[in-house]
Amino acid sequence: MLTDARALELVRSERRDEAIALLLPAFRRKVFGLAYSFLRDREAAEDVTQDVFIKVWRALPGFDGRASLSTWIYAIARNASLSALRARRSQSSLSDPDVMDAVEAIDPAPSADDIVDRAALLRLVDQLPTKQRQVIMLFYMEEQSHEGVANMLAMPVGTVKTLLHRARARMSAAAGK
Amino acid sequence: MSTPDSELDKHLRALFSGLDTGADFDARLMARLRAESQIGATERAMLARQQERVRYRRALSELQNWRRSMLRLLTLDTLGIALLLVVAVVTAWPRLSRDVMGISRQYGPYIVTLLSVLIAAVPLLGMWAEQTRRPIRLL
Repeated sequence: MLTDARALELVRSERRDEAIALLLPAFRRKVFGLAYSFLRDREAAEDVTQDVFIKVWRALPGFDGRASLSTWIYAIARNASLSALRARRSQSSLSDPDVMDAVEAIDPAPSADDIVDRAALLRLVDQLPTKQRQVIMLFYMEEQSHEGVANMLAMPVGTVKTLLHRARARMSAAAGK
Repeated sequence: MSTPDSELDKHLRALFSGLDTGADFDARLMARLRAESQIGATERAMLARQQERVRYRRALSELQNWRRSMLRLLTLDTLGIALLLVVAVVTAWPRLSRDVMGISRQYGPYIVTLLSVLIAAVPLLGMWAEQTRRPIRLL
């Protein structure tokens, strides 16, 4: 991959800051989404994302290139998210007021109906089992790429498709009640 | 015409596709990385200072050990031997003094060399004495 090769070249010439500046636009949203899918808290997910990039910056000189950079970064992100989750113990919910505010902030002027729809949809997503919820969030964040989500969650593509199908079915059934 | 699933897709995409970090995320991260770089430099300097402190302590400890081992040689045995040597020299001196000047002229360089070898051997003898016996300590 072009990013991998260029980033490794920069690291070898001791230009780690430039390597991070290259990786940041490519991975920031993905890492944030991954952390958010675990933590369900915007602020905590941002903190984890920052920590992940600091860890990546520190560990880049030791990166041997056996796995792709994305696989390596997602592994760091998953571990950091799980550690943060364990440290927090009490989990917040997607339908928490903070999360609602964060999601509403995406659309600068949502109508009252939109807010109600979104709140209801968030509650539906929130009620899904963890893996299904993660797959749903990342799939719709990640431009609907099964492979992308599989790489992020270190799952086979088939598992992602199955989880997605079940999550959709469950949400449709719940919405139809 | 849209199916319920595609409607759901649309809503979910609208909900999650715009999810991103705050606007100042990159700036905050870069500031943290700059701080990390400085911490790295400070840590390296601290490590160098620490290593120098360890090296100094080790050298000081070696010097103190040498002093201690020299002091350990100062025992009743060594004092007794030194006293006997002094007595022997004082007793023999009147007989030897006549020849001393002549001998020193003749054998002076050899005597100096022998004394140098003996002085150089003192620490080795001290170490050997320390390892082979337990002297009576005066100090």
